Amino acid sequence: MTGERRYLGVDLGSTTAKAVVVDQDGAIVSSSTIAMGAVSRAGMQRAVDAALADAGLTAEDLDGTVSTGYGRRLVPGAQRTFTEITCHARGTSAMVPGCRLVIDIGGQDSKAITVDDDGLVQEFAMNDRCASGTGRFYEVLATAVEVPIEELGALALKGSTDLEISTMCATFAETEIVSLLAQDAPVADIASSVHRAIAARTLALVAQVGRHTPVVLTGGVAQNPAAVAFLARALDTEVLVPAHPQITGAYGAALLARDADRRGRPVADDVAGADRLFPRPSEPHSCGSCDGTIDTGAAHAVDLGLPVRLGG
Amino acid sequence: MTATMPPLATPDRTNRLAATRHGNRMVAQYWDDLFTARERGQQIVWYNGGALNPIFQAAGLAWCHGEAFAARLAAQQLEGPAQLAGAEYGYNAELCSYSRTHLGCAVLTVQGDEGAQTGVVGAHDQAELAARLPAPDFFVNNYAGCSTGQQWDEISYRVFDKEVPIFNISHPFLWGNKADAGYLQGEEWESASRYVRDQLVDLIAWLEERSGNKFDWDLLRESMTYIKRAAELRREGLELCKAKPAPATFWDWISAIAPINFLPGNQELVDYFASVRDEIQHRIDHGITGIENERYRLYFDGIMNWNKLGFLSRKFAEHGVAVMAGRYITNAFWQEPQLIDTDDPLLGMAQHYLLCPTNHGTRTLDYLTLRDCEEYDVDGIVFHSTRTCRAFTGPQRLLARSAQNNLGIPSIFFEGDVADASFYKEEILESRLAAMLEAIDVKRAQAS
Ligand code: SF4
Repeated sequence: MTGERRYLGVDLGSTTAKAVVVDQDGAIVSSSTIAMGAVSRAGMQRAVDAALADAGLTAEDLDGTVSTGYGRRLVPGAQRTFTEITCHARGTSAMVPGCRLVIDIGGQDSKAITVDDDGLVQEFAMNDRCASGTGRFYEVLATAVEVPIEELGALALKGSTDLEISTMCATFAETEIVSLLAQDAPVADIASSVHRAIAARTLALVAQVGRHTPVVLTGGVAQNPAAVAFLARALDTEVLVPAHPQITGAYGAALLARDADRRGRPVADDVAGADRLFPRPSEPHSCGSCDGTIDTGAAHAVDLGLPVRLGG
Repeated sequence: MTATMPPLATPDRTNRLAATRHGNRMVAQYWDDLFTARERGQQIVWYNGGALNPIFQAAGLAWCHGEAFAARLAAQQLEGPAQLAGAEYGYNAELCSYSRTHLGCAVLTVQGDEGAQTGVVGAHDQAELAARLPAPDFFVNNYAGCSTGQQWDEISYRVFDKEVPIFNISHPFLWGNKADAGYLQGEEWESASRYVRDQLVDLIAWLEERSGNKFDWDLLRESMTYIKRAAELRREGLELCKAKPAPATFWDWISAIAPINFLPGNQELVDYFASVRDEIQHRIDHGITGIENERYRLYFDGIMNWNKLGFLSRKFAEHGVAVMAGRYITNAFWQEPQLIDTDDPLLGMAQHYLLCPTNHGTRTLDYLTLRDCEEYDVDGIVFHSTRTCRAFTGPQRLLARSAQNNLGIPSIFFEGDVADASFYKEEILESRLAAMLEAIDVKRAQAS
């Protein structure tokens, strides 16, 4: 803890609630992530309570609160809501200075966001319809092949044959997966094929904003090494993963509350990133549980001898 | 943490033109007249696509525009029974919801009241309205730029046991690729115009022969004189809306589409558009605005989501967004009145049918979109990705990219549909719109 003022960012997403407390320098004081079935006030409260307790704070100690995510309007005490686009861009750029393209694969939607030198949003695109290419897709896969979601990546990295998953509708993909299982296709091949298909879908999303590097993948899916590796192959570039990929939105929200305070403006009236307040090159985002360095997911996957075709 | 959340239900920040209410009454009267046209001994034509109504007026027929009736049902949230009837008959939900709704009406009309028993509470009364459409004596198709139109009428023709005569006008697609091609110019444009004009001549002869009514050329010239004047007034009103802040918005013009699209050409139509234009001028003179506290100006590309008209107008206003222009209002519906020669109107009419905004190659669409974005000085574009209308959505990504590359204008996409509310998802539009406005705020702050 390097300062006395404290700011809370809350990202109430479709399947997880994240809360981050930062100090006046933008360093993470505490953070928490709570998995929920769906947008849940109780889950959000647990995340907030945990982050505050960890920081040794109560709600009254906070100097600003910003919320984001699907449930952003449900967060009591938030002076301002910003969209996930603005918050992910802000949080990711602070964690990975110099990043130009942020890809966030969330529970319900995927986003590709280009950011400028100052980490400000230039262009963004989101998946068009239903849950195509989103985290929901991985859940469908995990359920269908009866593997815990945390083990999906390792399984997919063992697959070798491309089974051509033809649909991007989560519901129909489930049907396809079940029929492949009925045909006795190897589970690892099914898993790698689904990962490859999602990477191809993400590539189409990226095409809408243009390919820029460095690329950073955020969201819970970024913890899946196969998702990172297949995306790296599809984009034909290295894909970086911040040390805390799930909390980038909440972190960005907390930073936006901090930015406003530094400008001496109420956050309710502030324009996100209106000027260049960010300390360069990086804000001290480590929470102490690690050294805050970046995991180069692609390199990691290639080290594993990933059996994928070049070009995705 | 002391501040409270913004309320979820927000006040209506729109200030809609009063004059459009009169237009709504004219349209309601038109439909009531159509429902009783048979009782007055009139023959009835069902048609789709471009505004052939002046020809039907001069041919002594009552007319029903298929999309217009589907849109009316959707705007009144009464489209359900017709769509259910269409689904029971076998029309898939991916089919254009205008055609699906209207085909359902055809099924209900053929079935009469007994077929309207769906078991859905309240559906009976709604079905009654859908089934009130009088059966056609003729089908005429006038669709440019979309193949659904022709098939829609072909299928209606079959629903009525192939006993209703059908006339199909064919429209060349305006690719705009030749060296001399451009908006309203070039050999492609000239030859396509003549080709469609000749078919209008054939249509008139066909109607005369089949209906037994003598075509009234004087009446055609007269009604086109009124329509041309109404269109000029409409254009003047659209021009006035370039003022800052906007005195009226896209949503007001959406409300004013039906009169220009299918009401009879007469003095009342001219008076109506004069009153719209005058009210806009009055607003400019007195500093009255179309929405409260305009902060952003956006372009709206896509056919209207009729189920959500009021809702969307309030949503954009709630964000301080004045929606200024759009392909649907700015580049359709007699938007080039100078093309009409009131002494010999057929060529200019043919040209208007060709000018349907789904009938241009991307070069022309690009030109029109960039032109309007610049003239209305917009900050961004909202693309209504109309789920079941491929014709309108096809080039949208190209237009978005072009606006970004050429004008630095950002875009967002949201899904919805012309007459099927189920494709619209509120949070998708809300989060994308808010994200675009946040990005616009940042750019402005940086520029200042
Ligand atoms: S242009 Fe679109 S709305 Fe019109 S008939 Fe074709 S698909 Fe339907």
